[in-house]
Amino acid sequence: MKAYINGTGCISSQDTINDQWFFDVIAEPAGDYFNAIEPSYKEYIAPNLLRRMGRAIKMGVATANLAINQAGIKNVDAIITGTGLGCFEDSERFLLAMLNNDEQFLTPTSFIQSTHNTVGSQIALIMKCHDYNFTYVHRGFSFESTVQDSLMLFSEGKETVLVGGIEEHTPNYVILNRRAHKFKTYDPTVPFWKSTTKGIQMSEGAAFFVLNKHKTGKSLASIDGIQTLYKPKSAESILQKLGAFLKLHHLSLSDIDVCLMGFTSDVEFDNYLATLLPEIEKESVAAHFKHLSGEYHTSSAFALWTATKLIEKQRLPDALAISDKRPDSIKHVLIINQYLGINYSFTLVSQC
Amino acid sequence: MSQRIYITGLGMISAIGNNVPESLVSLSNSKTGIGKINYLTTRYKDDFLAGEIKLANKELADLVNDHDPKLNRNSYIAMLAAKEAVKHAGIDTADGLRTGVISSTTVAGMGKTELYYKELFEKDEHLDVLDTHDCGDSTERIADFLGNVDYVTTISTACSSAANAIMLGCRMIKNGLLDRAVVGGVDALSKFTFNGFNTLMILDKEWCKPFDENRKGLNLGEGAAFLVIEGEEALKQRNGKALAEIVGYANTNDAYHQTASSPEGYGAKLAIEQALTMSGLKPEDIDYINMHGTGTPNNDLSEGTATKAVFGDALPKFSSTKAFTGHTLAASASIEAVISVLSMQHSMIFPNLNFTTPIEGLGMVPETTLVHMPVNTVLSNSFGFGGNCSSLIFKKV
Repeated sequence: MKAYINGTGCISSQDTINDQWFFDVIAEPAGDYFNAIEPSYKEYIAPNLLRRMGRAIKMGVATANLAINQAGIKNVDAIITGTGLGCFEDSERFLLAMLNNDEQFLTPTSFIQSTHNTVGSQIALIMKCHDYNFTYVHRGFSFESTVQDSLMLFSEGKETVLVGGIEEHTPNYVILNRRAHKFKTYDPTVPFWKSTTKGIQMSEGAAFFVLNKHKTGKSLASIDGIQTLYKPKSAESILQKLGAFLKLHHLSLSDIDVCLMGFTSDVEFDNYLATLLPEIEKESVAAHFKHLSGEYHTSSAFALWTATKLIEKQRLPDALAISDKRPDSIKHVLIINQYLGINYSFTLVSQC
Repeated sequence: MSQRIYITGLGMISAIGNNVPESLVSLSNSKTGIGKINYLTTRYKDDFLAGEIKLANKELADLVNDHDPKLNRNSYIAMLAAKEAVKHAGIDTADGLRTGVISSTTVAGMGKTELYYKELFEKDEHLDVLDTHDCGDSTERIADFLGNVDYVTTISTACSSAANAIMLGCRMIKNGLLDRAVVGGVDALSKFTFNGFNTLMILDKEWCKPFDENRKGLNLGEGAAFLVIEGEEALKQRNGKALAEIVGYANTNDAYHQTASSPEGYGAKLAIEQALTMSGLKPEDIDYINMHGTGTPNNDLSEGTATKAVFGDALPKFSSTKAFTGHTLAASASIEAVISVLSMQHSMIFPNLNFTTPIEGLGMVPETTLVHMPVNTVLSNSFGFGGNCSSLIFKKV
C-alpha cells in the first residue's frame, strides 16, 4: 500500500512556512540552539482559539491548515499526530505553578492543554472530524508510527488521512538539557557527519501532510513504505534490513537518487550512520538535514517534507548535500533516520 | 489477509491486587482498592481517596527485580504487568515470530520529574529524569526485558489510550506486520495528575458512585495492565491456548469539547456502533458491558445516553468497575479488558459498587452485586479528553 502526499505544511528552524523557500537562504541559530521560525498565526487560526493555544498547538494547527488547503479538501477520514514530548510548555507551566504554590491556586487551562493528544483533538474540533483520531508518543518513532498507521488505514478502506509531527521546547527544557550535557553549541565549521564530540543540536518544529490512498492531480509524491528498527545491533544489521526493505519495493540502493541521513552531530548516536555512509555514497547520493532542522523527536517529519520538496523540484540543493555528487533526476528518496542511536527508521518516498 | 486475533495472556497490577489472581479475589468479593492516600505525596492526602497500588517504589523494584536507579513507578508497574502477561501466555520472543510492544500512558515519568524538577536547575543528582520523563521510556523497558522485539510504539489518547494500544496490536497483526503483540497501558499516580483533576473539580472526596444520580466525580487510581494478543496463525504454530477473541473495535472522536463529552454521547455512540458492526454481532448478542463509568456527572450521563441509543430498552447487564480500581487513566482500558476476560472465564459479572439511585431520565440500573451467569460476549468502552472514544468487543472461546 502506498500513500500519496497531496498537501504539506511545515514550521521549522528554516523558512519552510514560506512556500517559495527551497534551501536557498539558510537560517543559522540566533543563539546556540535552534528555535522554530513561527509565522503570524492569525492567517491560519481563528483569534478566539489562538488566544488560549500553547505553541505546539499553534504550530500543529497552522501546519495542518496549510496541508489541508494545499490538498484542497475540507474533510479527512483520520487525524493522526506524533509528538515525543507533547505540549511541554503547558505541562511545565502547570508543574511549576503546582510546585511554587504548594498545590494551591491552580487553574485547569494548562493542565487541559498538557495532554499529548491536544493537537490532534483541537484539529478534530476545528474540522468537526468524528472519525479515527490517534496520537503516538514514542520518542523517535512518534512520527513514523503515524505514517505506518496511515498505510494500514488505507488497506482498511480509508481514503484521506491527515498526519503530523509536532515538537516544542521551552527555555527551561533547553537549560536542563544543557546541564545534562545533552546538547552542544552549534558549530557551523564541523560537518555533522564528521563530528567527533557528544551532543546534539536541540530544536523544534511541526509538519503535517495530507495523505491519500489514490493518486490525484494534487499528488506531489508517494510514500511507498516505512520501517522502524528498535536498537539495531550493528551498522551491518541496519544495512541488511535496508536491503530487505528496498527489495520489498523491488529496489536496491543504486535505485535511490538521494539518501537523506539523520546525522545529529553526536559522535555516539551517529556511529552506525557514519559506518553506513561510504556504502551509501558508493551506490547513491548521500545528504543530510538535521544541520538545518536541528534534532527533535519528530524531526523525521521535517525530513519527509524535505523529501517531498526534492521530488517536486528535481534538484538536490547544496545546503543538504554531503559530497559534490548530485543526482541527474530524483525518482526515489530514502530517509534513514536515527534518534539517540536507539530509534532508527527507513522511509521510501517516490515520484508519482 | 484478515486473521482472527486471540488474547492469550493477562497481566495486571492496580489497587485491587498486584497480579491477576489477586485482582480476581478482590473483584469477586466486592473488595474495593480505593482508600486513604498512603504513597502519593500531596497536601490533600487526608482530603481525598485514591486507588493506590499497595507497594512503595522500593518494594516494586524488588518485585520486578530491577534496581536501575533511573526507573520510576510508571516503569516498575508496566514491567510487572507485562511480565505477568508474557509468562501467562507462555510465548518465547526468540522463536522467530514477530513480536510488538504497544503501550500507552498519559503521565509517563511525571511522578518522578515533579519530585526533582526545581532542584534540577541547581543540582546534577537527578538530571537523569530527563531520560525517563517521556512516554516512550516504560515501553522500551518492556521491550528490553522481553528481547527480540520487532516493533515498539506508544500511544497517548488520554483515558482511552490502552484501548487504542489493543486496537493497534490487532490491526498490525491483521495487516501482516506482526505475528503477536504485548498491548496495554500504564499510569502511576502523580501529584501533577491529581492536582490537574482537582482543578477540573471532577474528583469525589468520597467513594465514587458510577451511574448514580448523586455521583460527584471520580477517584483517581493507578495501575498497569497488558495482554498478549496473537494472530491465529502464530497461535497455531506454537500450539498456544486462547483465552478470548477480540472480535470488534472502533475509534471515533466526539469533536465536541476539549474535556467534556457531548450530552448525547455522539462519539461514544459511533464507537459502540462501529465496533458492533465489525464484530458482526447485534446489540442483543452482547452479554455484558464494562462501562467507562468514571463517576463524573458528565461522563456517565453522556455514556449512558449513548448506550441507551444503541441498545434501547433491551440493555444488557452492565457495570463500571472503576469503584474497585479508581480511574487509572491510560491503563483503564487494558485493566478493564483483563476484567472483561476474567468475567467470561469465570462466568461472573463484577458489580458496580456504591450505586443506589438511577440517573433521573435515564433509569439505567447497573449490577450491584456479583452475578454468576455465562458471559460469552463483552463490550468495553473507554473515552478520554480530546473527544477520544474507543470501544472493544471480546468473545469467549
